[in-house]
Amino acid sequence: MEALRLYFRLVRLSMQARMQYRADFIMGILSVVALNAVNLGLIGIIVYRFVDLNGWVIWELFFLYCLWLLGHSLYSLFFWHFWDMEEYIIQGTFDQFLLRPVSPFVQFLGREVQYIGFADMSVAIAGIALAYTNLDLHWSVTEWFFFPLVVLSGTVIETALTLMTACIAFWTGRSGMAIDLIMEFNVLVQHYPIDIFGLWFRVIVTGIIPVAFMNYYPSLLLLGKFDPNAPYAWLVYMSPVVALALTLIASRVWNLAIHRYSSSGG
Amino acid sequence: MKIFWAFARQAFQFISAYRFNFFMEFILVLLRMYGIYWVWRVLYTQRPGAFGVDLDQMVTYGVMGMALELFIWSRPQWYMANQVKSGAIDTDLMKPMDFHLYMLARSVGEVLIGIAILALPALLVAYLFLDVQFPPDLWTGLMFAASLVLGFLLLFHLNFLLGSLSVVALDIRHISWAYFSMVRFLGGQIVPLWLFPSFLRALAEVLPVKGTYYIPISIYIGRLTGSEAIRAIEFQLVWLAALVLLSRMLWGWAYRRLVVQGG
Repeated sequence: MEALRLYFRLVRLSMQARMQYRADFIMGILSVVALNAVNLGLIGIIVYRFVDLNGWVIWELFFLYCLWLLGHSLYSLFFWHFWDMEEYIIQGTFDQFLLRPVSPFVQFLGREVQYIGFADMSVAIAGIALAYTNLDLHWSVTEWFFFPLVVLSGTVIETALTLMTACIAFWTGRSGMAIDLIMEFNVLVQHYPIDIFGLWFRVIVTGIIPVAFMNYYPSLLLLGKFDPNAPYAWLVYMSPVVALALTLIASRVWNLAIHRYSSSGG
Repeated sequence: MKIFWAFARQAFQFISAYRFNFFMEFILVLLRMYGIYWVWRVLYTQRPGAFGVDLDQMVTYGVMGMALELFIWSRPQWYMANQVKSGAIDTDLMKPMDFHLYMLARSVGEVLIGIAILALPALLVAYLFLDVQFPPDLWTGLMFAASLVLGFLLLFHLNFLLGSLSVVALDIRHISWAYFSMVRFLGGQIVPLWLFPSFLRALAEVLPVKGTYYIPISIYIGRLTGSEAIRAIEFQLVWLAALVLLSRMLWGWAYRRLVVQGG
């Protein structure tokens, strides 16, 4: 609890620092909205021409995109700066976190909040609401209960994967490009249903970099697209389990990495 | 030319210092090619008639779109924004060389290295595994090469204009997200212009960004041939001339407003 209180205190400070640059704030929000509009526009054009993509109609694809985005928005709000970890390690400024008598993880997290996440979140919520109406969905209590669980699992999955990847920097000094690579898997999974890809890609995003659990598998359930008798049908319920497993692994990796750290003496 | 090689060598030294990163980037490019390959394949199987070209051409278009990124994307805007922010731009301005040309030399060096160690190996993989076609004949290949060089120059100048803005706007990180996605969209990197709905197509047809991806790749796959291809290259030339002029003007204006902090 003490850690949580401290975290929010740190976050408030970094928020105040951010608000110094108001123009940048507005530009950031507008850019993220534009970026998402372009992505959705591309999907729209493709489906407008071809009616559907392997059986997924336009609103189903938007749902897929926005479900990923909603989980991602919480990640980008609180954990975006994993990307900057390599800078701390290369320049040796990571030392500061080890000197204070508080968990280095909490200190690092409290460094920054990416308000951009709010823009992602608004786009995602609007998109999901529109898809829900246009697809004429009627979720039961179970699905309504499952939905927030899926969103949070999505956040946890992305966070744990990025954290583990960022930890590579403790060994090699650089991790930014590896995070970009993970992100590229994310982008493909966000944009297209993975059933259009070849087998090995599906195996990777299910079993090795399990980003398909952020949107694809739960979407099958939430959009009523899955056949309970199909092989591996149980995967649609697995997002929370995957999230939990990844959290355990990521915390192990982090502890290993922290002990590996030797300052560059910057 | 000697200057370009000097910068290419510099870029190479930078890259070889971070081999792991470089390897990751290679995988990333392959992944992008793989993704678009499947999207077009699946769509083509669904409705073969809707493309206006055959499957091989469409797949080649998609995969080349990803590969071309490495041929034409240089990042003068990042360099300029960083130098302005840190104040180190004064050392760039002291160099006995026109700043605009200096940025061009840097970018050429950067791209040459990218082609040699990323683009060509990635294309080799694409030829072997992703059904990418060679251009139909030598003449097409030559026109593609010319159009590609123009595409690089066009994009360099668009980026340079953005970089010049960083002098007054200081932080261009967020603007550039919107900018990247617009260039890729209207430039036809993923979806070619002929598949756009008519109002979007009308807009994309007049903007210079279609000279970055759409024109070179369309020539490559034989969608734009003969006099159409020549006209497309003329389009690139006219826009290039306009953008060079605009770059000189905007940089001149930004230069007068440049404030170097501390240093």
